[in-house]
Amino acid sequence: MQLKVSKQDGVPAFKVQDLQTQALREKAVLFCVAIAIPAIILILWETTTRMGWIDELFLPSLSGIVTEFLAMTRKGYAGTPVLTHVIGSLRRVFTAFGIGTIVGLLLGLLMGYYKYVRAAFYVVTEILRPIPPLAFITLFILWFGIGEVSKILIILYAGALIVMLNTMAGVQSCPKDKILAARTLGANDLAIFLYVILPAALHRIFTGMRVALSVDFGILVAAELLAGDIGIGYIIQDASVFFNVEALFVGILMIGFFGVLSDFLLRVIASKVVHWQG
Amino acid sequence: MVVHMSQSSAPASVSSLDQHGQAETAQEIVSLDAVSFGYSRKRLVLQDLNLSIQQGEFLTLLGPSGCGKSTILNLIAGFYKPLAGLVTHGGEEVKGPSARRGVVFQSNALFDWMTVEQNIGFGFRFQSLSKYEKRQRVDTIIGLVGLRGNERKYPYQLSGGMRQRVAVARSMVVQPEILLMDEPFAAVDVQTREGLQEELLKLHEQVAGAILFVTHSIEEAVFLSDRIVILDRNLGGIAHDIKIHLPDPRYTAMNRVSDAFNQYRTDLYLKMKAIG
Repeated sequence: MQLKVSKQDGVPAFKVQDLQTQALREKAVLFCVAIAIPAIILILWETTTRMGWIDELFLPSLSGIVTEFLAMTRKGYAGTPVLTHVIGSLRRVFTAFGIGTIVGLLLGLLMGYYKYVRAAFYVVTEILRPIPPLAFITLFILWFGIGEVSKILIILYAGALIVMLNTMAGVQSCPKDKILAARTLGANDLAIFLYVILPAALHRIFTGMRVALSVDFGILVAAELLAGDIGIGYIIQDASVFFNVEALFVGILMIGFFGVLSDFLLRVIASKVVHWQG
Repeated sequence: MVVHMSQSSAPASVSSLDQHGQAETAQEIVSLDAVSFGYSRKRLVLQDLNLSIQQGEFLTLLGPSGCGKSTILNLIAGFYKPLAGLVTHGGEEVKGPSARRGVVFQSNALFDWMTVEQNIGFGFRFQSLSKYEKRQRVDTIIGLVGLRGNERKYPYQLSGGMRQRVAVARSMVVQPEILLMDEPFAAVDVQTREGLQEELLKLHEQVAGAILFVTHSIEEAVFLSDRIVILDRNLGGIAHDIKIHLPDPRYTAMNRVSDAFNQYRTDLYLKMKAIG
């Protein structure tokens, strides 16, 4: 068998695409599919609602939602500027997420590293783990009042628990031989913790942080539904009461937008910090 | 390479001057005295084992799977404590891992978050040497193991053989008095393994510490070792203790195919067969 060689440049006449080209093409197709499906949904949404096939009370038109959003940015919602609502919500989430991450990280590191700490906390965490954090919300209000504190604390609790469990798992997943190798090179406990166990756990820690952040956004809305007059959750709650479905959708989409955006940022940070995962 | 083994403690001398007055002092660096070990007292892996390793020698442990080769290595490293008997290093009891005893693991155990350079220099974080001296030594060993040009790479960017080179360099650069190697080359292909073996012999010439090597491969054992100890299937008794004499430099290709090499190999093969 001989490959046909084209006369001009001495390169064989290829019959099929090489694997690299195939892979690139496949990537492009997958990207198109990923973009096309939401686009189709949006078009269907707009046409069905515009044509009046679906009652606007159940599903407002896209353009209606956009109009409502623009109106909101001009006049505010319930007498408060939209930006104030947004900042209020984001401040709650990120305060709670920040403190919760630090608390969860410290507890998780201790639980992962010291088996006695792990044993001490084991039963409590195993009992708390399956309970949805929202189940505690009335308790929190009872204990900490109906203001800002209980809102932040319930979000903080939910996130901290997730970060803690993932951090603990990350610490425990550190390969034993890496720890022993460090020890035979003269590292003491602190050095092993800083240079070996912590970096080995970072991947899991970031995974925990991402899960915690998305859970925190979910808890935020629920916490803001309860009481208060500022926040995206409040917009959703208030709009529901008055059957202002357009405003309701604006609230929902804003939560989605900030949730995706912050997860994306966290992912970028993670890929910069844990760059060796390949 | 300006590398000298610093002997902080004086090891016990086992054989003094020979009859011709030459200073052929074989000094014991590590010894196991009547050591017994098992995960439970009822199931011992080793029983009353005696073994001594001389300064600077390349000793290989051979034996059937489960005979306790790795256990011996772990005991010397200080990862395990003997149930009975004594493991000593330079006359002192081994009580835990120490930088005086390097270990190379089969799974290289590199730090994935550090570059080649940082991995190799890791042990120097805990030594009081001048920055210049540390840099110099890391640089020298990088040249010796053929990692030049890869200093800034991370382990995931390296081949299996390269990673194992980093692991060997990382343990060697801090000049342990003995280097313990548990089947370090078992996971790489044959060509790479031969290269690694030759580099190890060259390193051993430069860095004068003893090496305790564990392997399944008779060829590897003959090519590398000054002495081979074959362990018995029965509770880690020593079945054979054989000195290997092959011409220097040891790392030449001839030493893999010579008659002397083949004789050793045949001899060891039959001895291993007899053990079963």
